[in-house]
Amino acid sequence: MKLTEEEKMSEKTLDAELVTQAQQGKMSAFELLVNRYQQRVANVISKFVKDRHEIQDVAQEVFIKVFRALPNFRGDSSFYTWIYRIAVNTSKNHLVSRSRRIQNTQVEFEDAESFNTNEDQRNLDTPDAVYARGELEQTMSKAISMLPEDLKAAIVLREVDGLSYDEIAVKMDCPIGTVRSRIFRARDAIDQALRPLLQDESKRKQNVR
Amino acid sequence: MSDKSNQNISELMDGELSSDCSRFLLKRMQSDDALKGSWNHYHMLRSCLQKEHSAPLLHDLGAAVVSQLNNSKVANMSHEKSPKRFLKAFSGMAIAASVALVAVFSFNNLNQFESPSNNMVFAKTSKQLINPPNASVVRVEQPANYSRYPSLTPQVQQYINDSNTSLTIPVYYNTDYVNSVIIQRQLNSTQIPADE
Repeated sequence: MKLTEEEKMSEKTLDAELVTQAQQGKMSAFELLVNRYQQRVANVISKFVKDRHEIQDVAQEVFIKVFRALPNFRGDSSFYTWIYRIAVNTSKNHLVSRSRRIQNTQVEFEDAESFNTNEDQRNLDTPDAVYARGELEQTMSKAISMLPEDLKAAIVLREVDGLSYDEIAVKMDCPIGTVRSRIFRARDAIDQALRPLLQDESKRKQNVR
Repeated sequence: MSDKSNQNISELMDGELSSDCSRFLLKRMQSDDALKGSWNHYHMLRSCLQKEHSAPLLHDLGAAVVSQLNNSKVANMSHEKSPKRFLKAFSGMAIAASVALVAVFSFNNLNQFESPSNNMVFAKTSKQLINPPNASVVRVEQPANYSRYPSLTPQVQQYINDSNTSLTIPVYYNTDYVNSVIIQRQLNSTQIPADE
């Protein structure tokens, strides 16, 4: 069944819904928001802070500030634009508090979003992080390569090219229901491949704590 | 957890699920850890596929953030309810009230020092305060000043008057003098007239 745009809950509306619930004090709604934006926020922070443990600490600080500032969020800008500003300010404050020199005094929105423009900073990761990321990427690449062609095409068109379901349906010449199913099956297959790794990571974190 | 729910999550994060279903699913996700896990993993997949991870990949930061927020809430609440805090405030108020009371009485006493008194020896210098002058007793006179307390009842005024005229306990005294005064008074009261 094809839904009209009015019937769908757009990503922006989804954010607004979660924000409203979080403003009402629903912590579980805020948890979903954090997990939705954690990686994008961490990427912004990594432009200022190099140490991976510090990145995680600053990311946590950013989201705590976000939660406390939620009553002031009126939705004039998108939720991500708002937390982006908080992330930049928190990162700079973190550097000032540590009396560190800010290497990139002016990081543009697009630069902070772009991974490829900061190749040099990738090399600053610890070997541990590189290994962990490598293992995750390898597992994911392997899982994607093992996907049937129709699932692989659907997930790449969605996540890499950013096409809507309608556009993918046109491109793949199939009903929109099939697109829904293919994208989900692709995600599920990759998720199944990654779960053991993520569970190991969770156990390792619990042991460290 | 059904595949249908996970498919709905997949559609929800793409903005392709109906509003009604989305709201229902959001509610369910908040109380279902398995669905929450799928939400987390699908977003992580997105980050990986979009090469969106110049930072180390974060996994379930939300749980850590919410835990920290809850802890700080609990800490704040316990801090607010702490009896120590109440006692601290109460003791502060008590100290302030005591200081004010002492200040009021000191002011009154200072005024009373200015009034002359019969048969009294007053310390005039700081040295005399430490080493009283050649008198056995140095006392601070505390005459009743009725005009300051117009609201006092006649009975209270009478009491103050009586107590003011009776023998007062000196501020600086020696026990020999007090004892001799007391003995003298006892002798006077029991003395038999000479003509008897």
